[in-house]
Amino acid sequence: MKNFLEYLGFEPERYHTAWISGSEGQKFADVVTRVVEDVRQVGPSRKMRDAR
Amino acid sequence: MSELTARVREIAKRLLDNQQVDVVFGWEKGTEPFSSTPVFIRRPEEAERLVFDEFCIHNLSTYLLDYRDGSEKIGIFVKGCDSRGVVRLLEDEQFTRERLYIIGIGCPGMKDPVAHALAASGLDGNQDTAGLSAKCRQCVHPNPVLYDELLGVQQEPHLRGERFAEVKQIEAMSTAERYQFFADIFSRCIRCYACRNICVACNCRRCIFEETRPQWVGRETNLADNMMYHVIRTMHVAGRCVECGECERACPVGIPLMLLNRKLIKDVNQLFGPYEAALSLEEGAKPPLSRYRTDDPDNFL
Ligand code: SF4
Ligand code: SF4
Ligand code: SF4
Repeated sequence: MKNFLEYLGFEPERYHTAWISGSEGQKFADVVTRVVEDVRQVGPSRKMRDAR
Repeated sequence: MSELTARVREIAKRLLDNQQVDVVFGWEKGTEPFSSTPVFIRRPEEAERLVFDEFCIHNLSTYLLDYRDGSEKIGIFVKGCDSRGVVRLLEDEQFTRERLYIIGIGCPGMKDPVAHALAASGLDGNQDTAGLSAKCRQCVHPNPVLYDELLGVQQEPHLRGERFAEVKQIEAMSTAERYQFFADIFSRCIRCYACRNICVACNCRRCIFEETRPQWVGRETNLADNMMYHVIRTMHVAGRCVECGECERACPVGIPLMLLNRKLIKDVNQLFGPYEAALSLEEGAKPPLSRYRTDDPDNFL
């Protein structure tokens, strides 16, 4: 899925998959932080939005 | 009448005469010399309608879906791509082998009826009518992979050059270039769903694009919804697409759907492979994205 979005010209940083159990609160926080950092780096996405 | 046509008629007549099957799927001559269209016959005397020539391009396996709820026995003529379509349906448990009598034909490659129609119309005489159709020029498996009876001669792959050359070209572009490339293409899509309807791998009874509660994808033909449609359609046939090229052939606005399908064929091959979809029928075999293994790749996590 990530490969395919990349192929279509989306920045891979925008797509994350993670396996988190209900008891892994800290892992959840870490993953969300990483997602936010990654997305900040590539900036706001205009692609899908402006296309509407 | 060609020898193959004669053999096709003879077999169809025999199957209907001795009531081995209730219906035979084949091709008949269309209204123009450059069109042959699917036909479904039930009476032995109708066998005379059947032909096998260089325009029998349609993949007949898709039409089995119209019969999946019945109990009729079906005789079906298959080329390489049609036979993989049949395996697709059997593997997806949409059909049972017992209901089918399969007659395989080693496929010499088909010509493009649309190119021939344009050339004959005089509107655009500059058509390439000498060679094979686009889908057949890419064909790696022209010989039937599943059959009860076999006609014609064993064929070599029709593909010349590298199978994933075009995919690699796109992969080599920058992110922005790729987005622009696909945005230009997808903005042409009119969302007619011909590519889904003709696809043998698109065999869900309730298609996600028809659901309204919730409505997963907008019905408008704007770029965002079109992109969403193409991402989902391609992912839903990932690992199951039999590379018959029918989606691209059916598209009225020339969307190169095989560029999407082949990207996933290439990736599935790399990540889970080597894998070629629906090349043989094995008891309990499932495509890679339909099974779970503890050693499946997870580098996207
Ligand atoms: S894709 Fe292959 S098997 Fe199918 S019609 Fe073309 S050459 Fe024949
Ligand atoms: S056949 Fe072509 S125009 Fe129709 S939905 Fe598919 S890609 Fe879009
Ligand atoms: S996605 Fe296209 S090439 Fe693949 S099985 Fe469906 S119609 Fe054939």
